[in-house]
Amino acid sequence: MNLGKASEKIKNLPYPLQIVLFLGPFFLFPLFDKNTYHLDLLTGVGIFALLAMGLNVVVGLTGLLNLGYAAFFGIGAYTYALLNLHWHWSFWCGLPAAGLVSMLFGFLIGMPSIRVRGDYLAITTLGFGEITRIAFNNLDQWTGGPNGLLGIARPRFFNYSFSVNPTPYLYLVLVMIALTAFFLFRMSRSKIGRALVAIREDELAASCMGVPALHVKLVAFGVSAFIAGLAGAVFAAKQTIITPDSFDFVLSVLLLAMVVLGGMGNIWGAVLGALVLGVLPELLRGFAVYRMLIFGLVMILMMIFRPQGILGSQIIRRELGSPKEKGSDGTS
Amino acid sequence: MHFFLSLILVSFFISPVFAKDDEVVIGLAAPLTGDQAYTGFGVMQGAKMAVEDANIRGPVFGQTKLRFEALDDQHNPTQAVLVANKFIANPDVLGVVGHFNSSCSKAASAIYHEGRMVQVSPASTNPEISRQGFDTFFRVCATDEVQAPAAATFARVDLGATRVAILDDQTTYGRGLADEFRKRFEKLGGQVLRHDGITQGEKDFMPLLTKIKSVDPELVFFGGIYPEMALLLKQAQKIGLKAKWMGGDGIFDVSLAQLAGQDIAEGAYATMLGVDPHEVPGAQDFVTRYEARYGEIGSFSAYGYDAASVLIEAVRRAGKKDREAVLAQMRVLKDFPGILGPVNFDERGDAIGKSVGIFKMENGKFKFIKEVKPQTSS
Amino acid sequence: MNPELQLFLQQLLNGLTIGMVYALIALGYTMVYGVLQLINFAHGEVFMVGGYLALTAAGLATSLWAGLPFWVILLFLFLFSILGCSLLGAVIERTAYRPLRGSPKLTALISSIGMSFVLQNAVMLIYGSKEQSMPDVLPRWQLDLGGVTVSLIQLIIFATALSLMALLTLFVKRTRMGKAMRAASENPEAASLMGISVNGVIRTTFVLGSALAAVGGSLFAMNYGSLNFHDGYLAGIKAFTAAVFGGIGSIPGAMIGGVLLGVFEGFGAGYISSEWKDVFAFGLLIILLLFRPSGILGENVPEKV
Repeated sequence: MNLGKASEKIKNLPYPLQIVLFLGPFFLFPLFDKNTYHLDLLTGVGIFALLAMGLNVVVGLTGLLNLGYAAFFGIGAYTYALLNLHWHWSFWCGLPAAGLVSMLFGFLIGMPSIRVRGDYLAITTLGFGEITRIAFNNLDQWTGGPNGLLGIARPRFFNYSFSVNPTPYLYLVLVMIALTAFFLFRMSRSKIGRALVAIREDELAASCMGVPALHVKLVAFGVSAFIAGLAGAVFAAKQTIITPDSFDFVLSVLLLAMVVLGGMGNIWGAVLGALVLGVLPELLRGFAVYRMLIFGLVMILMMIFRPQGILGSQIIRRELGSPKEKGSDGTS
Repeated sequence: MHFFLSLILVSFFISPVFAKDDEVVIGLAAPLTGDQAYTGFGVMQGAKMAVEDANIRGPVFGQTKLRFEALDDQHNPTQAVLVANKFIANPDVLGVVGHFNSSCSKAASAIYHEGRMVQVSPASTNPEISRQGFDTFFRVCATDEVQAPAAATFARVDLGATRVAILDDQTTYGRGLADEFRKRFEKLGGQVLRHDGITQGEKDFMPLLTKIKSVDPELVFFGGIYPEMALLLKQAQKIGLKAKWMGGDGIFDVSLAQLAGQDIAEGAYATMLGVDPHEVPGAQDFVTRYEARYGEIGSFSAYGYDAASVLIEAVRRAGKKDREAVLAQMRVLKDFPGILGPVNFDERGDAIGKSVGIFKMENGKFKFIKEVKPQTSS
Repeated sequence: MNPELQLFLQQLLNGLTIGMVYALIALGYTMVYGVLQLINFAHGEVFMVGGYLALTAAGLATSLWAGLPFWVILLFLFLFSILGCSLLGAVIERTAYRPLRGSPKLTALISSIGMSFVLQNAVMLIYGSKEQSMPDVLPRWQLDLGGVTVSLIQLIIFATALSLMALLTLFVKRTRMGKAMRAASENPEAASLMGISVNGVIRTTFVLGSALAAVGGSLFAMNYGSLNFHDGYLAGIKAFTAAVFGGIGSIPGAMIGGVLLGVFEGFGAGYISSEWKDVFAFGLLIILLLFRPSGILGENVPEKV
């Protein structure tokens, strides 16, 4: 199956059509399968998909390795939780707030991080991610410490109050994915989007050509953090309880694996990666002990054999692959 | 892409969601992988035996038999919520024995409450879980409101300690236990010199213990579990910290002596829910059968057995496959003969009359010292 | 001795002890980075495997040959874990990194993260997720210097780490292979033009680094008496911080960085707060990377166009 070619063709369709094509089936899903567990799982996968799309902006589009992405997810979750518990903000007000606060932290963390070299960036973001998690755990007064925060309110839509039933959440998440995809498509075709890709391909050359590298990288960080913040708010509103250990390094790596597997730089690739790596552990519940092993192997094997992921384009393959695939322009 | 999609969606549809009329599922939620897997397995096996014993006696009502389903919450509250959702989605499940860790029980309790499903915890001791007003939550063990004050009183009165240092592992359970200990100990006129936190999984406590040594406490109380306790004991010995050590049910495990070294662990005190099952006459049969089947009995296996037994009895009395009916039965249950003694619940779902035992480590085993009954005024 | 001074010295000793272990691990990071410009995420797990191998070896030794003098068992432990980890290091290099030689660093970095997960999980499957205890191999001997307690294991750690570091320095400065390693890290192309087998050098680097990590792991296991499959991750991050601290790519830098980080962390935990202990390490790392990525002894390598 030549996915590369197929995805090239699909990419040429106008993006609103793509969104309808890919997300449509999921909107119809609850009509056919009423099993709450399945719907709940799909909603969880949807949240992963949002996160993967956000991470993709930084890792896939811009080529910056962020190993602390779970922190932004957590910041969004805690923001909504605190606003709701202390000042009784409703979900619809808390949602954008969570995104904005996360984005702010994205800028804060991004500003120093983007000045360092590629592989150091990975470690810096890892450090920030861990510091954030430890802070969640230790700042008892604010975050409830290891107990976390509970009693977070569910959203209310006019007269309808969300409950344990996952279906309304599923629709909420699908709508958010659609909107995010729409926004990301527009962004990738805009000046900013091209600037990001230019930086990924060769930062030095790009800045020589007049691309304000630092600014643009910061925008990427901010956008990806914003998306994670939104996802965090939805997560908090669905779980009604959040604890620090939900936002650890393992999650950051899992999200990275999703982006890598699905295809770096490809918006639907991120969604696909989330689908596969979100559903697989549930299907393999009997093999739960091998979960991490499988994720690790996936990452190694993908990097060796198909670094552009399932849906990645040939361009990415050339950027990420080894010299013998690059052709005659490789060195050594 | 659509090919992958349909592959995944199809696998959803073919997974079994057939409601069997002649089967009721008893669910079990506990950490089955990860750092607490060993303890979690102990609980799981105890509960499993209860279901098997019940099936041997015959159908639970009508022609209906029981099936046991265990799900892994990985000692992670997010997973606990996912597990709770999974159980609620399955119409055959009438009740869940779980969870084990307080953090998981607490997270999942809101879900079980909304799903009107009975939740019986075998060993979650954090008091707040039953304070949330969820009529679906029950537990067959004492809470830290009994355990910690018992420890504090023992330390202050029996051991005569006036100066203590407190440590906790910053989990829902450990921090809760340490805070309750501190409250009671200070109320009894004792002095708490320091209260520090450690992280589960940490190894090096030398700087912390050195600090503690410098304030010269008579006793150190640790709210946490046995891996860290073992490390603390060893390192305390290394730097010459000469205080007595005490912990809660989290350190009550046969591995403690093994990890710390028998002579180092000698003399450590622990509180435990109830008395040693080996000592309870009604539990002997259970212990023998368990050990024949699974080997060494876990510290909480008997609790798993009792929690499951209570739930099964409620199902039997409900007489039909209806969660609200099972819940109603749980709420009026009186004097159920558990293997660890009669089981009664108060309006919050807490177990009435569950005592706490004080133990001391001697020759590599925890030896029972005294029983502390819960005071009726809390 | 005045109690303040006593406390200070004890904390210093604590810090130096763990610092030596960090240094041994950091050496592996720094050498691999010097030659490949790769952060070997899996290195922390190799360290952990070293500890587990020592644990197994200790179990074997004490049950099969009772009554051996402790230093014989010690040597057996070291040899066992060194052999195992060296092999592991070579295998990791061949499977996860060699195929990606020449790929951008992002790719190799992701692969190394994957490898670290594989190792962690493999160890968990083999040894179980429960805390594993290390059989007592050393006599419980302690020295009391005016209120400051020094234990036998601490002395052994100092002795072993220092001698290994000295040996490594000699190796790198005096032997042919050592020279080849330095040449390859300066300029791989020129080195291979001069007849140096870059593949061989890289393999040797991995093997050496893994062997040192193995010793570090064995000492770690003996020091704490118990092991957990999570131990590799945290120690790995800290050792990497140490390597950066001292100047990534610089061998003496890694040694100094390791010791300093251990001391810094020990004082932080001892005098400020133990809850935020790990934050000190991460915080230091970030500050370093931002303001002085070349570390103490490193050179500022400008990016060539």
